[in-house]
Amino acid sequence: MARVPQHTKSALTVILSFFFFFIIIAICCECVARTSWVEKISSYRSVGNHDYQFEIKWFRLEDYVKQNGGVDVIILGSSLVNTGIDPDVMVEAFFEQTGVKLRIFNFGVEGLTVAPNSINAGILVERYHPALLIYVTEMREFVAGSGLEAETPFLADSWLRYEHGDFNMTGWLIDHSAALQHYLPYRNWMRADFLDTQPHHLKRSKDTTASGYEHDNKIGQNIDAIPDPNNPDDAENFAAYQNFQIDPRRLNNLKSILDLRQNGGPTILVVEMPVYPTFYVFVGGEAVHKQFQQTLSGFVKANGGSFLPAETCNDIPLEGRSNRWHLNYIGAPIFSKCLGQQLSILADQQNSDFVHLNIGSSK
Amino acid sequence: MSITSLAFAVFCVVAILVYRNLPPPYRTSWLFAASIGFLLTWAWDLAAVLLVVATVNFFLGRWLGVATNRRRFLLWTGIGFNVAVLVALKYNGFYVPALTSLLERMGVQTGEGGLKLLVPVGLSFITVQMISYLVDIHNKILKPEPHWLDFALYVVYFPKLLSGPVERARMILPKFKQPVPLDAAAVERNTWLIVTGLVRKLILADTLLSIIPADIFLHPESFVGQELAVYLLAYTFVIYNDFAGYTSIVRGVSGFFGIELTNNFKLPYFSRSFTEFWDRWHVSLSHWLRDYIFFPVSRALKKKIPNRENIVHLVVPPIVTMLVSGMWHGLGWGFLVWGGLHGLYLIFERLTMLRGPRRLPDEWPKWRQVVSALVVFGLAAMAWIPFRMNLATGWQYLVRMLSLDAWRMPRLWLVQAVITGTREVSSWREFGIPDMRVFLMLIPALWLDWNQHRWKSETFFMDWPAWAKGLFLAIVVLTILLLSFGETSAPFVYQGF
Repeated sequence: MARVPQHTKSALTVILSFFFFFIIIAICCECVARTSWVEKISSYRSVGNHDYQFEIKWFRLEDYVKQNGGVDVIILGSSLVNTGIDPDVMVEAFFEQTGVKLRIFNFGVEGLTVAPNSINAGILVERYHPALLIYVTEMREFVAGSGLEAETPFLADSWLRYEHGDFNMTGWLIDHSAALQHYLPYRNWMRADFLDTQPHHLKRSKDTTASGYEHDNKIGQNIDAIPDPNNPDDAENFAAYQNFQIDPRRLNNLKSILDLRQNGGPTILVVEMPVYPTFYVFVGGEAVHKQFQQTLSGFVKANGGSFLPAETCNDIPLEGRSNRWHLNYIGAPIFSKCLGQQLSILADQQNSDFVHLNIGSSK
Repeated sequence: MSITSLAFAVFCVVAILVYRNLPPPYRTSWLFAASIGFLLTWAWDLAAVLLVVATVNFFLGRWLGVATNRRRFLLWTGIGFNVAVLVALKYNGFYVPALTSLLERMGVQTGEGGLKLLVPVGLSFITVQMISYLVDIHNKILKPEPHWLDFALYVVYFPKLLSGPVERARMILPKFKQPVPLDAAAVERNTWLIVTGLVRKLILADTLLSIIPADIFLHPESFVGQELAVYLLAYTFVIYNDFAGYTSIVRGVSGFFGIELTNNFKLPYFSRSFTEFWDRWHVSLSHWLRDYIFFPVSRALKKKIPNRENIVHLVVPPIVTMLVSGMWHGLGWGFLVWGGLHGLYLIFERLTMLRGPRRLPDEWPKWRQVVSALVVFGLAAMAWIPFRMNLATGWQYLVRMLSLDAWRMPRLWLVQAVITGTREVSSWREFGIPDMRVFLMLIPALWLDWNQHRWKSETFFMDWPAWAKGLFLAIVVLTILLLSFGETSAPFVYQGF
């Protein structure tokens, strides 16, 4: 038998040692990351997504489902949802009307329009099977190109593509490795801005409740002032929305959310956020808004969903807003209570209590 | 194609495998084709420019080799051509705006954003190589290369194309013709060179560079003294590890072709004098400057002023050489000041040497070696200031860093207040604590340098037991993988020259 040369043996040993140690280190990290001790000292996890708030919501929902055995209602939308709807208040309002305790989660993520949210909706419904999916929207997200700066990096994310069915190694690894999920919140530790941004992220994570609501303490100024095209503060909004038209691609995105109800999927409720009426000046006035509502309402109903226009829950005082679009800690509970009550009416109409029957996560 | 990309790794593996399995007569052609292929991944017009440069110098060299008269004229024509190409393409920032406005005034459309000229990467490196080729032929220490393909390969050889090393034709052309056989020891050594280079570039340089706030080099006035000092320290290690990492990688790659490239960095920050520093920093360029600027200037002076004790001999050659070095990096006042500073350091050193018997640093007492190394490091670090930023900002940076008024006591009570929740801070910088991440990254950087120094080997890992090598590789690969999740990326600093 031919003898293996010494240097080949040595190279082989190095390669084998490399794989051995690589695997051992990876396994050790994975084991440690899965202990409750790590969970306790570092509850902040990440899937490496560009949108850190999406990640907060993703893991908060995972914990919520673990803790409550499932989720009945998921509310999806942008920052308007994040700071505008407190699920706990909704639960109480619904309970008062029906005697049923729903499990509601707020999945509002800053900057995400209907385009990325149509993908989110699919992933969340497939994973958690809620009985009701509420999509909260407003006029701006139907303008072509709006929110692209958040949408593009969000959708390019490896993990999200993996979750959406586009297999890739990075996405798979992140999805299956607790160690990576615990490391990824700190993945930018070498960035110059890390020491400033990370405490901010951690604070927001801490401020987000178990049901996904993040309160906003700011009370808006000059919300009721009529926007002026000559005012530099208003010029940007005039430029963006003055020729308001619904982008058909955005309607298609909404349709893919509405289509989730098929084959035993959840009931879909589209809610129009009650933005402050001075906003409509940017889009051309109340008439344009009414036209938008008509189109949207017709579209939603034609695709099997329910639509709740803005005026249904518009009893929000001026100090309950942090700007023309967002509600603050005063406005959010008022709107949430109204939404909970409206939900009970919808439940009555549909002869359903929106309680998700399957226990736990399906994935 | 970046040399730290996976695409480059695949490209190299294919190029090496084909090269190693080809009969020797075809190897040069293959290497040339691979180099052109690599160039095309940057820009096709870049390949065209470099081939023109190669062809012109090839014929100039042959002409110079057979010419019996007007040789000096031919040499200066060649030098003029190479410098003209460099100035025209690399330093176009100086004249393109004026040319654009002139053309537009004459009614010539220059396209959106004005006239744009190609900036061939690595042109400064190629220019000095071409000049030394012609000078060596002129001085009859090199015969002109008879084959165009071999010469063109010398110009475009991909491992040294982007940022050197600056190879002399007389040293590397024979290596193309007779590459070193690749035995097991060479494979291991080349592999470790690549690993060391990746550690320096991806783990040390890129990480440190990301830590440095971008605006510190634009608005030093908004930083306190200790931040300026710590981030300058970080930048000092960035530029070294970035360039040394690049060199190490390309030397490893080239080694697989059996073509050894010059070691450009010999632990420069351990230098105990500036003479030693320039024997350790960017060695291939500094030796080129020594042979083609310093010595000729010294010789010319000697003819005019025979007394070697004359101050002119001490002052002029180093300052001229270092100013040329500065200009080679770029036509800007910052680079000139950087070169000028190093020229002054060398002059000062030469003047102090006059006072006593000349002893090599190795013969100095230990304490003097340590103190001198720290002084050299500190002065070299300060010279990076004008190298990195414009002169006015650089001056502001230096003055602020050295001014005690700009230094603040760390506000440790604020840390306590944050922990107890009685106060919120909007920025880490409110604490006045220097960025600890810099020191964290300096530990592996110094560990690597110290071991290379201690074992007098850049691939000291080779002496480790197999399991330790495996463990080290596993840690390196895991670290690079984890770092790759960060949202940062940095090109090689010296690729800009």
